[in-house]
Amino acid sequence: MIGFFAKLGGWGLQALTRLGRAHLLLLSMMRGLLEILRRPRLLLDQVFSVGVLTILIIAVAGLFVGMVLGLQGFYILSRFGGETALGLMVAASLVRELGPVLTALLFAGRAGSALTAEIGLMKATEQLSGLEMMAVNPEHRVLAPRFFAGFLSVPLLAALFSMLGVMGGWMVGGGMLSVDQGAFWNGMQNGIDFREDIINGVIKSVVFGFVCTWIAIFQGYDCVPTSEGVSRATTRTVVHSSLAVLGLDFVLTALMFS
Amino acid sequence: MSKAENIDPTPPLVRIRGLRFRRGSRWIFDGVDMDIPRGKVTAIMGPSGTGKTTLLKLIGGQLRPDEGTVEVDGENVHALKTPDLYRLRMRMGMLFQSGALLTDMSVFENVAFPLREHTGLTESMIRKLVLLKLEAVGLRGARDLMPSELSGGMARRVALARAIALDPMMIMYDEPFTGQDPISMGVLVQLIRRLNDAARISSVVVSHDVTDTLRIADQVHVISNGRVVESGSPAQLQESGGDWTRQFIQGLPDGPVPFHYPAASLREDVLELPA
Amino acid sequence: MNKKTVIEIWVGVFMALGLVALFFLAMQVSNLGTAYTGETFDVNARFDNIGGLKVKAPVTIAGVEVGRVTGIRYDAEDFRAVVVMGIQEQYLERIPEDSFAKILTAGLLGEQYVGLDPGGSEDTLAEGSEIAVTQSALVLEEVVGQFIFGKAKEGT
Ligand SMILES: Nc1ncnc2c1ncn2[C@@H]1O[C@H](COP(=O)(O)OP(=O)(O)OP(=O)(O)O)[C@@H](O)[C@H]1O
Ligand SMILES: [Mg+2]
Repeated sequence: MIGFFAKLGGWGLQALTRLGRAHLLLLSMMRGLLEILRRPRLLLDQVFSVGVLTILIIAVAGLFVGMVLGLQGFYILSRFGGETALGLMVAASLVRELGPVLTALLFAGRAGSALTAEIGLMKATEQLSGLEMMAVNPEHRVLAPRFFAGFLSVPLLAALFSMLGVMGGWMVGGGMLSVDQGAFWNGMQNGIDFREDIINGVIKSVVFGFVCTWIAIFQGYDCVPTSEGVSRATTRTVVHSSLAVLGLDFVLTALMFS
Repeated sequence: MSKAENIDPTPPLVRIRGLRFRRGSRWIFDGVDMDIPRGKVTAIMGPSGTGKTTLLKLIGGQLRPDEGTVEVDGENVHALKTPDLYRLRMRMGMLFQSGALLTDMSVFENVAFPLREHTGLTESMIRKLVLLKLEAVGLRGARDLMPSELSGGMARRVALARAIALDPMMIMYDEPFTGQDPISMGVLVQLIRRLNDAARISSVVVSHDVTDTLRIADQVHVISNGRVVESGSPAQLQESGGDWTRQFIQGLPDGPVPFHYPAASLREDVLELPA
Repeated sequence: MNKKTVIEIWVGVFMALGLVALFFLAMQVSNLGTAYTGETFDVNARFDNIGGLKVKAPVTIAGVEVGRVTGIRYDAEDFRAVVVMGIQEQYLERIPEDSFAKILTAGLLGEQYVGLDPGGSEDTLAEGSEIAVTQSALVLEEVVGQFIFGKAKEGT
């Protein structure tokens, strides 16, 4: 019994120190911003590998999610003779929820796991130690550009997702199912408020981008530097990011749309 | 210890006093005192797992001792503020056991990396310097290869070129000879000697390779069981015919230097007797 | 073209795409592109029952939007709801004072909005004027109730 509590306490203590390390890392990466401003090239390369390489999956997913929303929405709305609300339904669900959330989940799977594995392997092969001994701070030189690249990319990817989703819904609704075009766009524009829906959606994706990239980088940097450690860290990145996104989404939605 | 101080009146480059360091509950170092003189090649020897790499990391300020001090060029490494520590590290080169090359850059870019980070040199200057350093390790032709395309020995030589890129005041070599064929080994031994004599770079060489290390070292420290067990010049050590030298040269499993990682006796372990 | 330039181009394309998407969401999907952002003047109207009317609901004349509901409050003196409407400046002194305001529903189950029927008066609505003649919202339960009540009367 005492052993159980001792274990529990030890586990809690470990979790707390991890949390502390994660915040110290965040602070240090913020300081790395200075270096990035001096050498934007560092950021550019990372935006490429974190953002540009994620465009394809985001675009395809966005388009298909929008098309499915169009189909399903049409079947349900047409039962009440409310097809004209299809545009509003598709756009509202995308802009408020699906765009930011699905983008963040896909980002964690595509870019977050890659970030963790890359940083974990750099640690395992002593590249990070090597940088330190060359008087280069890896937190500023290696981690900070990746962090800000992710932070910057996710909102743009989410906007892309939502735009293509609306297009997909419009293709299905307007093209295949002959919903009135004017009603589709008008209903959307009347129902979607710029400040309430679009800005809040963007805020969500900014928060998700911040959290997902932070988790990915911290897991890589804090992993046990072996093959197994890296593989575990990669799994943890995807699991923790997904849970964080879903949990935060609930909290943010409750705060924003109540 | 006092012997070395008597011979050399200038203060040592690295001065280690009362160093204690542990991993978990095991003391890797238990009271190490050591001086590393300027402008000489100092070898640190000891069996695998005694903490030679750990010692280099303590000197470089990557690990923090539990007790004791490490001074490099008169500065207490672990009391320095981060920017000062980084300034000090710019004057220390370190060759990692694994090479630690940046895998997303070519050989050329790896050697150019410290120059680009710390100097404002023009591209043509950097090119010249990098090619010279690569020439010194015999890999000028390999400049466009990626680290994944190098053999272990080649990677270590590239890492050496990178370590000397900034012309540091000291270089720490962690196992520079493993994985080298006799020719490149000879070249490396000469290179370390030459860097030391011509460029006045102090060298710390960590190695298992007794014959080659004794050939280039001016001063040898042997660590075992968390302590310095013998130190002196190679000649002194060979003359004194200390037990460790005999054991090392002849490769005997038993002697003052234990081959085994600390453990309960084999009989207890195998028969699963309570300790 | 070397690798650096390719990366630069792609990052540029990515940034442009992202910004285009944000712009699209703002102008095409939301009300920012269509919303009136100019000056307005306030006109009040009192209703017995506003049903489900909400702030920001459109105010229309002949189906064309001329303003938005900017405030709704309850007047405890006469037990009626006061709806404040922000009418676009261009219609200042253009809408007859005796216009008729009613609360309508877009479609069978749609959002509610205010419809103005212009009257014939020479005087026009200005800042702070009050519309005298109003028709309350159609509350479904009341309509159904009246219908059943009417049927019951017929039956006897
Ligand atoms: N990260 C670590 N965590 C726990 N123990 C460690 C860690 N790194 C090293 N050790 C322990 O410290 C001891 C010294 O390791 P070190 O790498 O310094 O040995 P070494 O003398 O360089 O050996 P080799 O000659 O094989 O390179 C080893 O016994 C090892 O078990
Ligand atoms: Mg070692």
